Amino acid sequence: MTHIDQVPTPGAPRPVEIGVKPGTKRTNPFARVFDELVRFAQSRSLFMLHYCTGCGAVELPPAMTSRFDMERLGIQPMVSPRQADILLITGYVSVKTLKRVILTYEQMNSPKYVIGICSCTVNGGMYWQSYATAKKLNDYMPVDIYIAGCMPRPEAVIEGLRGLIENIRTGRADAWKDYYRRYDHYLGNQQRLFGADWQTPTDVIAEARHYDLFGPATLGAHTALLEQHQRPLEALEMRIEIPELMRRRSRSDQGGTAQ
Amino acid sequence: MTNELTTWLDTLLAELEGIRVRRTSRRRLRVDVASDALPALLELLRGRASFVHLSAISCVDWIDAGQFELVYHCWSYEIQSLVSVHTRIPREPGVYISVYDIYRPAAFFERDIHEMFGVWFEGSPDLSRFILTEWDGPPPMRKDFDSEAWVNQHFDWQDYHPDWLKDLETRGGGIAVPPDEQRFSRRNVDET
Repeated sequence: MTHIDQVPTPGAPRPVEIGVKPGTKRTNPFARVFDELVRFAQSRSLFMLHYCTGCGAVELPPAMTSRFDMERLGIQPMVSPRQADILLITGYVSVKTLKRVILTYEQMNSPKYVIGICSCTVNGGMYWQSYATAKKLNDYMPVDIYIAGCMPRPEAVIEGLRGLIENIRTGRADAWKDYYRRYDHYLGNQQRLFGADWQTPTDVIAEARHYDLFGPATLGAHTALLEQHQRPLEALEMRIEIPELMRRRSRSDQGGTAQ
Repeated sequence: MTNELTTWLDTLLAELEGIRVRRTSRRRLRVDVASDALPALLELLRGRASFVHLSAISCVDWIDAGQFELVYHCWSYEIQSLVSVHTRIPREPGVYISVYDIYRPAAFFERDIHEMFGVWFEGSPDLSRFILTEWDGPPPMRKDFDSEAWVNQHFDWQDYHPDWLKDLETRGGGIAVPPDEQRFSRRNVDET
């Protein structure tokens, strides 16, 4: 017998079920209640990595500090992508920066949310005909919320974050799954800018399998191209090369033998 | 003291042949010089006239004249004035001599100009990629580089009615002025 939870409702987006793989039967009658509780908790404790690429960054200090006080919504800045939930892109993303943004995004743990602030992340903004600036952020990574404006006031930033919180609470903020489900699409757009030998240290396809989000559009022509060019990652060689230190050390060695 | 030096500099430069000197303001001097005499003039300015600081080298692409204009901005801390030495070189093949031996910081400016305009500086220590590390197109600051065509070829435009905009419109937001009616719209320019 199919449980009512397993029947997808057509049209309406499927709510995120945390920690439950699709296909497993849910026997706990309180599962739904528990999911809601988890989602509520998640939406009220968000750590934000702000990648300050452009001028929109100046709107963040007032939004974070005492005047508008983002922390009353449970949002705090976080210093490393590994511990962050939100990736906030504030302003134009140049092609060179975009590489770093993608690396940062792929390092974050799921569930992860991307917010694009300022017009530049939406359509290039005032850099619409610049050869060095990426135009649509959502071509390269799934974006949960865009906050338009040049630049948006802290009120607008807070409004956007509240929108994200609401989406997380109701289980609609699942754009991050799209990166795994349609990895080929995003990788294709990245390759169009960075060339065929573009590769990141993160194995997105393996992660897609891990999260059970591997779908028919995860692999494609672009991932085939990636496999063709992929070089295995090597650990960085650890080497200390401080000339002053080496000189001092060799001098002390010589001094030791002379005595 | 400063005035004296300025007068001295003016008379010195006026005596040199083949250059045109114009004082644009109290602290700025514009010098036009033939391209083969520029290193000698810089040598003179640095060695004899205390212009030890090369603030920048800028490049202008005069595409109709088929020339690049290189401007060397030299600053003197003693006289406290700026001498801009202008020179023009043919756009093709766009090769000039480096002034790295006179001014060390010239290496960076020349590397930058090589990247942006494609001018080759003979004798510059390093003309590899500088800021545009992944760039494989033509030098982008040249006037014949069509930035818009490049953008159209490499990027997709945002759809003016994406799905997420519908959400906003149901809440009363959305695009206030449609793209066709915007004052600075590309489409309006194309029609006229």
